[in-house]
Amino acid sequence: MKYYSYFPGCSSSEGTAVAYGLSTQAIASALGMELIELEDWNCCGSTPYGSTEELEAVCVAARDLALAEKTGLDLVTPCSSCYTTLNKVNSQLKEYPDLKAKVDECLAAAGLKYQGEVKVRHLFEVIYNDIGLDVVKSKVVNPLRGLRVAPYYGCQLVRPEPGFDNPWNPQSIDHLIVTLGAEPVPYPLKDRCCGGSLVIPELDLALGLIHKLLESAASNGAQCIVTVCPLCQTNLDAYQDMVNRKFRTKYNLPVLFFTQLIGLALGVEPKALALDKAIVSAEAVLSPYTKVAEPAVQTRGGVTYG
Amino acid sequence: MEIKAYLMIEMDREDGGDGHRNAVEELQAMPEVVAVAPVSGEYDLVVEATVDIPIRVGVIADKIQAKEWVKRLHVLKVEPAAPNPFLDEVCSTPGGKSIRWCAQCGLCSASCPNVAQMDYSPRKIIALVRAGRRYDILTSNTMWICASCYLCTVRCPKDVKITELMHTLERLSTRHGLSYGRATPAMYRAFIDSIKNNGRVHELGMMTRFYLLTLSTGKMNPLATIKMLPLALKLLLHGRMSIKPTKIKGSEQLKTIVERAQALGGAR
Repeated sequence: MKYYSYFPGCSSSEGTAVAYGLSTQAIASALGMELIELEDWNCCGSTPYGSTEELEAVCVAARDLALAEKTGLDLVTPCSSCYTTLNKVNSQLKEYPDLKAKVDECLAAAGLKYQGEVKVRHLFEVIYNDIGLDVVKSKVVNPLRGLRVAPYYGCQLVRPEPGFDNPWNPQSIDHLIVTLGAEPVPYPLKDRCCGGSLVIPELDLALGLIHKLLESAASNGAQCIVTVCPLCQTNLDAYQDMVNRKFRTKYNLPVLFFTQLIGLALGVEPKALALDKAIVSAEAVLSPYTKVAEPAVQTRGGVTYG
Repeated sequence: MEIKAYLMIEMDREDGGDGHRNAVEELQAMPEVVAVAPVSGEYDLVVEATVDIPIRVGVIADKIQAKEWVKRLHVLKVEPAAPNPFLDEVCSTPGGKSIRWCAQCGLCSASCPNVAQMDYSPRKIIALVRAGRRYDILTSNTMWICASCYLCTVRCPKDVKITELMHTLERLSTRHGLSYGRATPAMYRAFIDSIKNNGRVHELGMMTRFYLLTLSTGKMNPLATIKMLPLALKLLLHGRMSIKPTKIKGSEQLKTIVERAQALGGAR
């Protein structure tokens, strides 16, 4: 069992991406991960705070880092925005001593201290590197044969820092899809932007970006899209209807979290994966793979794949 | 008084190999050097340096001359630097200094998903900052429709932190009261208020506050807001919007931290 400090982030804990948090918990122990939720974590501040008040934003994120440091574990988050924000603050504190001194003072006022020792990691990267695709493969009881999936990386998993995957042409989600027995479709826009939180103040702009992403996935034959970011999922899923109306299209592409896709292949009960929280229902696309949960089919599954 | 000096360098080609890149990096590492650019003709590089008193031009020239790869050095021009407080302000922020290295290649603008809707492309914004056009920049829409996708940042051959620059410009625009009429800062405000009140973002509360803020100031038309209701309802029915915010236990602790940060007045 590998132990991690877990930072769900606002949307995955009980907001628009609650299915992400639930499905993460549903697959964690099966993959040999113990995710211990960081006690009393606060919002990382994300882009809006940092783009309004810099020092305040850095201090708010530093509280989380200070709390995480006490646990002595790596801080794992499923949210790409939390991942980028916390990582950025971490490196800024190392790079700019003046900033560090001010942040130290603010934390000290609240009885906290941060030495800069926490490693912030994305859940996907932890599963990809620490758990490893070999182990994931060994646990697959319900291979998703024939399912055509568009691997959507979004922005902040692979950028801005050159991290664990190539920022120019990332491949890791493609590899995961193959591991689960499914088929990654070519997805030229795999690392393009969905608009993020701009969907609220700049709706038309974001709908244009979402439209391109859906078009690219659909025209390459995808039956569904898989993502590693709560914002990407909400934008592509909940706003798909608006895109259809605005651009007179008929997309009906379910958008799954990678944790849900892993869970399906691992034979986790669909209910525990919170698949029913999706606005664009994945039921039709996933029906050949969700039936396995029923005992009779499970036996057949055992014979076929065991 | 600040003084600008332009120095021309002819490199010693005997070494061959990858000396050019190293030379540029060595020059950029000097604190007085503002920019280094290749030139064609008699010389290989032009160096722009800023010094406080004229005599230091000679000191820098000697320092560069002492480098083994310099064959010949010529001080082309020495002039009083036009003051550019806006550039200084931007450069004093974390990562801000990187815009001095921009070569205006335009790869950032070519990479930007939202460039078509921007008043000025990212490349132009950098040129305008360096030209000191504070008002034009801070009243533009460019930084407010940057989606922080970082495509420009990873592609920049000069390692300019363009996304960070956009965040810096957003902060300056807000601080100087030049962001009026834009919807994005209202969303940011609603987002931050939610953190300050609860420690976490409560999406339903944040969205409601955003629409109230924008409706009351006329930034968003009422019809556009009504169009959002079915979406909110759908999310609610799918259990993706919590009605009540979750308040963290350490909300007083967070408040103490934020208040101390406010007292210290920004990160500059």
